[in-house]
Amino acid sequence: MEFYSKPGDYDPINYVPHTESHGTSELWKTFWILLGITIFDFVIYFVLGPSGVRNFIFIFFGIVKAYFIVGAFMHLKYERINLALIILVPTIFIVGLIAGLLHEGNAISQIK
Amino acid sequence: MANHQTATFEKLPVWAGGRSPFNVSYGKLMMWIFLLSDAFTFSTLLVQYGAQRFSNVESAVTTKWPDPASIFNHFPFMHGFHLPLLFVSVMTFILIASSVTMVLAVEAGHRNSKKEVQKYMLYTIVGGAAFLGCQAWEWATFIHEGARLNSNMFGITDQGYKHLSEVTFGDHFEWEKGDRTFGPVPFAALFFIVTGFHGFHVFSGVIINVVVYIMTVRGVFERRGHYEMIEKAGLYWHFVDLVWVFVFTFFYLI
Repeated sequence: MEFYSKPGDYDPINYVPHTESHGTSELWKTFWILLGITIFDFVIYFVLGPSGVRNFIFIFFGIVKAYFIVGAFMHLKYERINLALIILVPTIFIVGLIAGLLHEGNAISQIK
Repeated sequence: MANHQTATFEKLPVWAGGRSPFNVSYGKLMMWIFLLSDAFTFSTLLVQYGAQRFSNVESAVTTKWPDPASIFNHFPFMHGFHLPLLFVSVMTFILIASSVTMVLAVEAGHRNSKKEVQKYMLYTIVGGAAFLGCQAWEWATFIHEGARLNSNMFGITDQGYKHLSEVTFGDHFEWEKGDRTFGPVPFAALFFIVTGFHGFHVFSGVIINVVVYIMTVRGVFERRGHYEMIEKAGLYWHFVDLVWVFVFTFFYLI
């Protein structure tokens, strides 16, 4: 095809952008953060009794862990912002759906 | 092959055509889109879990929603001891550790170091297999104690909660007669569906990692000139870890 004929042209099938290693220090730092949060969750479970505050802490640190996994391990921090947005923005709506249906579930339990 | 040239098309305006607007390869972009759709799939299960749990009320046929940590309190070779959350925390640690070896393999791939890629891929496969073994043990224990897809023997009665409040972490503990009755069915059903679906993803990930490992050993990526396949397998593997973070939070901690 004409499109592929000139060397250096964009080839949508085989194009792979050049990648650089960022070194391993950030990866190990992320590992220790994730491990620390997991141990923290484990401790908090026994220190605080069952309560809304404890659940909030668990969900908050779950999201913090997700940030580190997606950002550092899955490398999304270093991708173009438009790629990051098409991945992250739809997931915000999931949070909305969960919040809405928890409210709805609670309402159902009131009339059961 | 148009790999790796510092091509003039990378300087074109982003949405003008003739270049990748996201600056990633076709395969990697498709992996991201797949992971987004998979995130929606897992979300439906978590939404279902939350709605069932919040709408559950104590009645003639079911009890309150049971406290998960009181149920998953076993540890291999420590039979009869009350060790809530310990085993699942170990499983979380295994998955995080295999995630970090995966990302080290990706980093080694950026340096075209075949030996290191091989080493870290092998560690990742071992971690994934260990996680699957743990999950098989957890399922076997849970089924042995009477949980089924269509019934749940973990409706903890008031007597059961009183009994539980008398033991602390590490004490000897066995359920007594009258501690448990039929509980909410979705508790056990969704446990099996969600951890099973996640375990199936881990299993697929291990298969993918084995395939990529064999390709590395045979020098496929060395000839190709880049190790991007490791990155794509890595994206999937980290996603599996990410899903586990939320399964751990919603099914065990809360």
